[in-house]
Amino acid sequence: MRQDWARLPERGNRWALRLIRWIALHGGRATGRALLYPITLYFLLAATAARRGSRLYLRRSLGREPGWRDLFRHLHCFAATILDRIYFLIGQLGRFDVKIFDGQLILDQVASGQGCILLGSHLGSFEALRALGATVRHLPIKILMKIEHNQTVTELLDALNPALAQTIIPIGRPETLLQVQESLEQGFLVGALGDRVAQGDKIVHCQFLGQTVAFPVGPMLLAGLMGCPVILFFGLYRGGNRYDIHFERLAERIVLEPRRRQEQLAVWTQRYADRLEHYLRLAPYNWFNFYDYWDEESA
Amino acid sequence: MEALSSFELEVARLLVETLHLEDIKPEEIPPEEPLFGEGLGLDSIDALELALAISKTYGFQLRSDDKENRRVFASLRALSQHIEQQRTH
Repeated sequence: MRQDWARLPERGNRWALRLIRWIALHGGRATGRALLYPITLYFLLAATAARRGSRLYLRRSLGREPGWRDLFRHLHCFAATILDRIYFLIGQLGRFDVKIFDGQLILDQVASGQGCILLGSHLGSFEALRALGATVRHLPIKILMKIEHNQTVTELLDALNPALAQTIIPIGRPETLLQVQESLEQGFLVGALGDRVAQGDKIVHCQFLGQTVAFPVGPMLLAGLMGCPVILFFGLYRGGNRYDIHFERLAERIVLEPRRRQEQLAVWTQRYADRLEHYLRLAPYNWFNFYDYWDEESA
Repeated sequence: MEALSSFELEVARLLVETLHLEDIKPEEIPPEEPLFGEGLGLDSIDALELALAISKTYGFQLRSDDKENRRVFASLRALSQHIEQQRTH
């Protein structure tokens, strides 16, 4: 079931998040990182659904049967980015060695005064970008986010940086995209994640890691309707305190003709899927969709 | 079924045409039923497309911070009334 993500893994683990946050704020990053090992081990044993999702994904991306070490590494990578998310949110970027690739693209876009869609994914950490953009560089960024799904995370993390919380546009209300439209007109970079399908989303099918899978067309449709550029971003966690943030222009403008709309949306979404696959190959353990992404088990 | 007023029918046509609702006839949209979520089942991207079409056809923009928004999008009837009040052409 592709909607399984709504339950995984953020939702069920309120106490773990609280614990990680407490450790991060009171114990320091070294303590936090040391404790990530037992926490990861616990999840490896207890979170069977997440483990199954991880196994299905790793089998596909590594091209072999993943062992316990691979599964551990995958969950540990996720836990590490959650811990770091806290430091990003409180603006402690100095702790990190962040390499930015093609950052000029973003600066040029901001200078142009025209808004754009910043399209990311659940590959790696989008918080790195959000913290860097909004807190350090004071770039005009807004993020589309499913508040209902992320309630726990949102509550816990927003308390750390209320100003950053203001930059969220909640998804799932009739006026959501009117708000996006206004933000784009005001020159905001509007961030969205394009790799998860929610109930009722319009979709297209793309080739992704060797199999057909549904992607939401929302972001491309939005860019098409608004006539704005689409810039991709990937915040890859490289171990230790290292993050690589990649920017890449996907489209200067997405032109949709009424009769060929579905076909054109499919072409652009496939390009996104191709780039996602490219970056996923660079950092395979950064894939944070811990569910049956390719719908293999219900087949 | 309740009949639509001629303006409601005009808005219903715009809605069906803009959103490519191929299996729905404009005159069959129940005027009091919700357009979003349950009811006609439109989503936020439909709302944006509709807003763009309304702005092109009737010359005014729907705003996201409009307190009336919930009411405006509540039904075809409410939407039609709002357009009649706000239209500039």
